[in-house]
Amino acid sequence: MAAFIIRRIFWTIPVILLVILMIFLMMRQIEGNPFQRTQRAVPPQVQANLERKFNLDEPVWMQYLLYVKGVATLDLGPSLIARDRDVMDIIKEHFPRSVKLGILAFFWAILFGVPAGIIAALKPNTPYDYVLMFGSSIGFALPSFFIATLLIYYFALKVNLFPTNGWPLGFWDIDSRVVLPSLALGLFPMAYFARLTRGSMLETMQQDYVRTARAKGLRWKSIVTRHVFRNSLIPVVTATAPLFGLIITGTFIIEVIFSIPGIGRYFVSSVSARDYSVVMGITVLTSIIIILMNLMVDIAYGFLDPRTRTSKS
Amino acid sequence: MGLLDVTNLKTHFFTGEGVVQAVDGVSFSVEKGRTLGIVGESGCGKSVTALSIMGLIPKPPAKIVDGSVVFDGQELTTLGERQLEDVRGKHIAMIFQDPMTSLNPTFKISTQITETLDRHFDMPKGAARKRAVELLEEVGIPRAAERLDDYPHQFSGGMRQRVMIAIGLSCNPKLLIADEPTTALDVTIQAQILDLLEKLREDHQMAMIIITHDMGVIAEAADDVAVMYAGQIVEQAPVLELFDHPEHPYTEALLGALPQLEGDGIREGRLTAIPGRPPDLVNPSEACRFAPRCPYHGDDSCATRPQELREVRPNHLVRSAHPTSERGRAREPVTS
Amino acid sequence: MAVNPREAATLPPQISAPPAAETAGEPVRQSSLWRDALHRYMRNKAAVGSAILFVAIVLYCFLIPGFWFIPGIWTSIFNIDPNDVQFTEARLPPSIEHPFGTDQFGRDLFTRVAAGGQISIGIGIVATFAILVVGVAYGALSGFIGGRTDNAMMRFLDALYGLPYLPFAILALAVIGYVNFWTMVIALTIASWFTAARIVRGQIITLKQNDYVRAAHAVGARWHRVLTRHLLPNTLGILIIAAFLDLPSVVLGEAFLSFIGLGISAPDASWGSLASEAREGYRNNPADLWIPCLFIAALVLASNFIADGLRDALDPRTKET
Repeated sequence: MAAFIIRRIFWTIPVILLVILMIFLMMRQIEGNPFQRTQRAVPPQVQANLERKFNLDEPVWMQYLLYVKGVATLDLGPSLIARDRDVMDIIKEHFPRSVKLGILAFFWAILFGVPAGIIAALKPNTPYDYVLMFGSSIGFALPSFFIATLLIYYFALKVNLFPTNGWPLGFWDIDSRVVLPSLALGLFPMAYFARLTRGSMLETMQQDYVRTARAKGLRWKSIVTRHVFRNSLIPVVTATAPLFGLIITGTFIIEVIFSIPGIGRYFVSSVSARDYSVVMGITVLTSIIIILMNLMVDIAYGFLDPRTRTSKS
Repeated sequence: MGLLDVTNLKTHFFTGEGVVQAVDGVSFSVEKGRTLGIVGESGCGKSVTALSIMGLIPKPPAKIVDGSVVFDGQELTTLGERQLEDVRGKHIAMIFQDPMTSLNPTFKISTQITETLDRHFDMPKGAARKRAVELLEEVGIPRAAERLDDYPHQFSGGMRQRVMIAIGLSCNPKLLIADEPTTALDVTIQAQILDLLEKLREDHQMAMIIITHDMGVIAEAADDVAVMYAGQIVEQAPVLELFDHPEHPYTEALLGALPQLEGDGIREGRLTAIPGRPPDLVNPSEACRFAPRCPYHGDDSCATRPQELREVRPNHLVRSAHPTSERGRAREPVTS
Repeated sequence: MAVNPREAATLPPQISAPPAAETAGEPVRQSSLWRDALHRYMRNKAAVGSAILFVAIVLYCFLIPGFWFIPGIWTSIFNIDPNDVQFTEARLPPSIEHPFGTDQFGRDLFTRVAAGGQISIGIGIVATFAILVVGVAYGALSGFIGGRTDNAMMRFLDALYGLPYLPFAILALAVIGYVNFWTMVIALTIASWFTAARIVRGQIITLKQNDYVRAAHAVGARWHRVLTRHLLPNTLGILIIAAFLDLPSVVLGEAFLSFIGLGISAPDASWGSLASEAREGYRNNPADLWIPCLFIAALVLASNFIADGLRDALDPRTKET
């Protein structure tokens, strides 16, 4: 088991390096980017600063390595627009807010999605099942920006229950302002989890080993909680990684709509403002997070399914 | 009264395409300490019969619509689910065809054995593990104590089936139902497993039902035989009697398809195949269901009149208008 | 099915043979497989309904406003230009000429949503096609070659998985420099091709182990023949399913990007940009936002149900209940 974990961690490192390389190369292709010595209307001391900070007089591969070193030491360079701030400072300020949003959305998704799927699977083809699956189809198909706008409209204008603007800035602060945005973000994962859990449980319940368990005279409740759950949860756990990626993607939209000062909104405005170092820094950051999430899911999978431990990764 | 008495059991599947009468009036008895072999081709209803006895048929589409199953004096068809759960595993155990999919891949085999012991006897973990090792040794798993905490995928096919048998035996059931226990295994392993089952049956004084499509397995393992076709029993006899004097044309055909390598039944040339296919069980005929494929059915009424099981030789029941004993008058098989 | 293993050898050939290749080197006999699948598909009411809905939406988007050389039904009959701003006709309620009414600029919503759909669905279809082509090329090659090369190619894919979808698409657009139909297609394809590649590669690896492939090799079939005539046709099913799963994700991706202003922007219509435009005036004109979003949802749902139906039809063992 330990060998398995170490192997997986070991493989993540070249993946991260490769991803940074790709982002790095892509950034250099954007027209007007400051990472090449092209004509750019910047005051000379800014240009000199840039050159120093980004090592523009070095060969490309050296620039890349220095950037990687920067990533490792949490130094992503200065912002091109906010002249006196480093990318890392910006990230440190805005990122926790997005994390909070993402985690809350995830909570919604698991808290309501998984039980909904379980109930639907245990009572298939009954009204419970139909209603829950219909609801999940809605949450699945309607784009989150639509849901967000609807929520704003109904809860700000019609029924003044939850505020639609603002965001508690402290990481551990939670107030009613978090409800709507996290709900809007969490609806899609919730629907996804519901359908996935239901499908997975139904499929597991048809397996031969469930029939064997029944033949052994085990109580149905214990069969479900022991045999069925553990095996059904495997695909649900594996889905967590891509879902997390989706949540990260979704925060961009939700933050823009609800005016939440998080990393997603900052990214969108940075693209328009051509603050390339910030764009690159945020992309690299989110990539590393996704890769680490994938790693954790792989390890969790190893715990859940013993067959993967003994085979080569 | 045998240990298990099945009388006129009828199990139907209510599907979107009609009612499939999978088991249509099946009766037999199993005596304590004896092995009943149920033989027939795929789809004849033998597995559904076994599952119906245990109450393991999928309840939404399937239902026992008639008949009774009396085990050790108790009627099983009217029991609720919880009561059935008390019978299953403890008094009647069942093992299945494919040991790879019948064992949970994410649980160690120790757990899969001890959970049964815990369920039926409230055995504490230490004692249950000890018993599990004993069971594994009894079924012939080498180095049982070391392998106790292995997972199913770490065993070979034959070993996995032995593990299944160990699980089946764990609570000392009075009846063991084995549904195609050797079908998924190599021929060489088949013999070992059958020997094992026989030895265990004797040691534990169990009754056994073996379900198979393989006449060779029947010859090896059964004391009494019931031949099923299209949801009905078409012939029933002790095993030697059946092989020496097959009565039903279907049984003859099954035996006739066996290659004979020696003895006076030695045949050369082609193996006999049975032309045609088994009938659709959604609307089975009331009359003889084998008639369309039977070499002996002529213009007489056997294809329109229902055939009952009747005794044509001592202790030997047949459901046919043309059993072998009654064919003496130079009746040639109708070819076409 | 065999009565008895010993009989199986001589059972007359009424029992149907499995639809895999009968003889090595022969292409897979596809007629019975597809017809069976079609049959099974037709029995699934949700799948059939979704297919009808899907076709209806596509027809709506392409026939109402006109496409290429095909004149639009609505635009011809009523002489409407979806981009024509006419304040005098602003915010009209639904009527025969304007089944969805008009927006705040007096533009007919019915044709406008259809025109937007043309762009959104168009991007979806073209991008999905491109994803499949790239994915198949990469995945088939990787799976077929196997060994170290396969390992390396998959590691590369793992890295790509680490890139977040939206930011990556945004970056790709920034690299290209400007946003129009084709650049959207390229950007979204680049951001999504790896799932298809992985699926194809997995399928090829499973299929490679089948006996008929070995038989083909044994007869001396060259690798490209084995690939094109044996392996690829059997991945067709998976690909079609993948297509109906990628399409909604591309359409949603485009909608998201356009909504936040980084994609197709007003006055060009795509469902996302229409929604974006409608956002400010939502209070007065909820329909402007509802309608494009409902279409997006309908397309996404229909595609998913079609994919489910196809999955059941092509592999009936994985039924849900």
